[in-house]
Amino acid sequence: MSYLEYNTKFVPTGPRKLLYLNWPVILLICAVATFGFLMLYSVAGGNPGTWMLPQLKRFGIGLALMLVVAMVPIWFWRNMSVLAYLTALALLIAVDFFGEVGMGAQRWIDLGFIQLQPSELMKIGLVMMLAAYYDWLPAKRVSNPIFVALPLILIAMPVMLTLVQPDLGTALLLLLGGGAVIFAAGVHWAYFVTVIAAGAGAVFAVFKSRGTPWQLLEDYQYRRIDTFLDPANDPLGAGYHITQAKIALGSGGWTGRGFMQGTQSRLNFLPEKHTDFIFTTLAEEFGFAGAFGLLLLYALIIIFCVSSALTNKDRFAALLTIGIATTFFLFFAVNMSMVMGLAPVVGVPLPLVSWGGSAMLILLVGFGLMQSAHVHKPR
Amino acid sequence: MIRQPLRPLTRILQARAKGESTEAIERENRRHRHEEMREKMRGRAALRLKFLAFCFFAAFSAIGGQMAVLASSDAEEPTIQSAEGPAPILSDRADIVDRNGRVLATNMETYSLYAQPQQMIDPHFAADELARIFPELDHERLVADFTGDRRFLWIRRQISPEQMQQVHDIGDPGLLFGPRQMRLYPNGSLAAHILGGSSYGREGVSSAEVIGVAGVERYFDARLRDPYQQDPLELSLDLTVQAVMEEVLGSGMVLMNAKGASGIIMDVYTGEIVAMASLPDFDPNDRPALPTSGSPADSPLFNRSLQGVYELGSVFKAFTAAAALDAGLVNPNTIINTEGPLTWGRFRISDSHRMDPSMPVSEVIAESSNVGTARIAQMLGIERQKAFLDSLGMLEPTQVEMAEAPTGRPQFPENWSELSMMTISYGHGLAVSPLHLAAGYATIANGGTRIVPTLLRQDGPQVGERIISRQTSDQIRSILRGVVSHGTASLAEVPGYNVGGKTGTAEKPIETGGGYYSDKVIATFSGIFPANDPRYVIIISLDEPVETSGPQPRRTAGWTAVPVAAEVIRRTAPLMGLRPAVERWAPESIHQASQ
Repeated sequence: MSYLEYNTKFVPTGPRKLLYLNWPVILLICAVATFGFLMLYSVAGGNPGTWMLPQLKRFGIGLALMLVVAMVPIWFWRNMSVLAYLTALALLIAVDFFGEVGMGAQRWIDLGFIQLQPSELMKIGLVMMLAAYYDWLPAKRVSNPIFVALPLILIAMPVMLTLVQPDLGTALLLLLGGGAVIFAAGVHWAYFVTVIAAGAGAVFAVFKSRGTPWQLLEDYQYRRIDTFLDPANDPLGAGYHITQAKIALGSGGWTGRGFMQGTQSRLNFLPEKHTDFIFTTLAEEFGFAGAFGLLLLYALIIIFCVSSALTNKDRFAALLTIGIATTFFLFFAVNMSMVMGLAPVVGVPLPLVSWGGSAMLILLVGFGLMQSAHVHKPR
Repeated sequence: MIRQPLRPLTRILQARAKGESTEAIERENRRHRHEEMREKMRGRAALRLKFLAFCFFAAFSAIGGQMAVLASSDAEEPTIQSAEGPAPILSDRADIVDRNGRVLATNMETYSLYAQPQQMIDPHFAADELARIFPELDHERLVADFTGDRRFLWIRRQISPEQMQQVHDIGDPGLLFGPRQMRLYPNGSLAAHILGGSSYGREGVSSAEVIGVAGVERYFDARLRDPYQQDPLELSLDLTVQAVMEEVLGSGMVLMNAKGASGIIMDVYTGEIVAMASLPDFDPNDRPALPTSGSPADSPLFNRSLQGVYELGSVFKAFTAAAALDAGLVNPNTIINTEGPLTWGRFRISDSHRMDPSMPVSEVIAESSNVGTARIAQMLGIERQKAFLDSLGMLEPTQVEMAEAPTGRPQFPENWSELSMMTISYGHGLAVSPLHLAAGYATIANGGTRIVPTLLRQDGPQVGERIISRQTSDQIRSILRGVVSHGTASLAEVPGYNVGGKTGTAEKPIETGGGYYSDKVIATFSGIFPANDPRYVIIISLDEPVETSGPQPRRTAGWTAVPVAAEVIRRTAPLMGLRPAVERWAPESIHQASQ
């Protein structure tokens, strides 16, 4: 049920929209990003130019972009959904099949000022597409098998394309993010029970097929799962990340070693210390207090998003908000879990903290959409 | 579910009786039904959202809980899994030496300092003293740590002998030293890219693990840390030759205003790399972090000789000539039409300077005619050219024993067209590393058997597959000698060493695609010495050189890479035991004068 059917009594216009932004979320985002700047300053050994300043610049650009996106009415974005999805899909196909450019890096498209991963674009594109789909679909058809199959195809295509890259982390994020939107849209429980059962079967098949000529995952992906199941098994190779991260967390204790005092990460013990594993530096330097604080900030962002979705009567806006919140949630939950040994290492950055512009920019655009939904909600 | 009918009969009849419109009733009921459904949907959506929120909450709790568990755990002594169960880390890493047994990498004993507060006699005194010895430590924090309930904490990972003595003098049994080994590269930046570097892996109280992070250290990591193979790893490098190479290359790079340089000297029979340098370089004792901006190929960590693939230009003409000679298509005296430009579709191939409209094959190479070489390639054909370059190993990464070797992957057009064939014949359109080039020249110069470069000391010559005949190899060597004695590489003449070789000046492709820079070149000299009885191949490549001593800036290899190569040969040949074959003072001139 979309806007045309509502008697929207009041929608803010012009600069007045700024007053109706979800300011707590913006402040929380800035707070999380500040954590990131501090950590990037620290892992570069107190050199702001290495990672912090470029990151600061990109955050500024991202924040501006977020505000621009937020100012544009949500119904415009709804109309753009199909286009966004198809564009992301086309780019994804392009990098998969014609991406033999550059030195073996085939996940990227160079935009000049930033290198963009189409799979990142897809995270937003997929959520938009699914939200628009359920906005269009009459409620009584939601659980109709034919109309359940369509979104499944919409999810399956990008998931397959990212799996062949191969990028297990992103594929997982797309799958779960899309699944959350379908779930929130109200598809019958039975479907989810079936899918989870099928998933369990698939996991079984994946392990059964190992070592046979038709094994389903890459060897390195199996090794990562092995490592997750028993990090001590291969501590020098794949288990290295996890063992080191655990030591860092352990040596941080409750209050940490103090800013710029983390030896574990600053002395080059940890690979990827400024990207996927930046959380270990944080845990070592600020201890449990800092790590839990960051987790709380993330949780608050999610809470504000969920409550915004709950109070939004427009179906597209609500589903979009919940989809973006889920994507964001998956980012940090998967990252923190893998660093602390709760999940296999799949290469997902810590959102708004890890070094890297692509993920940050996409997340901020996502929050821009969420803000637009918030500003233009039927009042 | 009981549905309200849209047109309830009683109301319709009542309305009809009153003469009112029945449409209004239907509309009203339809709206009711819509609203009901919407309410129900929103209710369900809210329920689903709450369920999702619950899932989120569960995940938060799990993550937070794990944080607490980890934060409350003490760092424990890491172990390695062995057949008998967990064992402590063994940290004796084998040395790395050059071909004459001179040390390139070794270990040094140092100590770490840690505390066991439960065993301390006077924690306050110990904290005071420690804060005095290590001014950067926070006194308050030390007191808190020492008097708290911690059982173990690191204080310093590495301390100097003086500091160790001072801590020892405190005399507190709760302050303990852990021995550990530090990897030391006594020659500093010498052979930096080959050695790579190392860092600490897992760390325990009584030892810490040293792991190789790049280069040979990484490639042979398992071998170096194998406790049953403690004898040093012998490389093929010669420390002195490597030192001269780096010194000459460094000053040559400054003199020619180049932004980077690479140089290789390799034995043509054994494939042993005697020296391999890439500038700018770094100190493996203090390996810098990866750069975050700019092209990674400009970083000091980048090994231009191995990882850098470049279109190397005219040095490839020697391969085209070798393939055509070996196929019996030409002999060194066959006359080739060098009249340019040679047009192919929209593409024109022309020569950099004026030359005779036709000349023999040997002169085509000596004068470096693109047009002539392209015509030779046309006789050869696509298939034979591709097969020949493939047999020299030009189409796949080198197999040299370094962790980075697989990244030096040659780049060539997927569709090897007629035009590609012609440009590749003079070194454009196929990008390879200088090490590929060295292996190729060694193969065509050593009598024609395939050489695979190696960094390990060898006992005898390689017995490779035969690529070209001995006769072709002889012809190529005399052609290469001609390039130096009266062609484009005349500055490479080093009296007594009979240098032969070929120059290559290749315009650099524009990174963003589309064409080439006219003022940025890669200048390369690829040579063999002595040409009559070859022992070594030398590659010198300068990135964006400009030689400014003349009235106009000169960039061609003949003016930049060649003099640097000559200097390297002049100084390294005696070090490698080559005797100069100085010609006797020739008395013919006197005869002539007296006649």
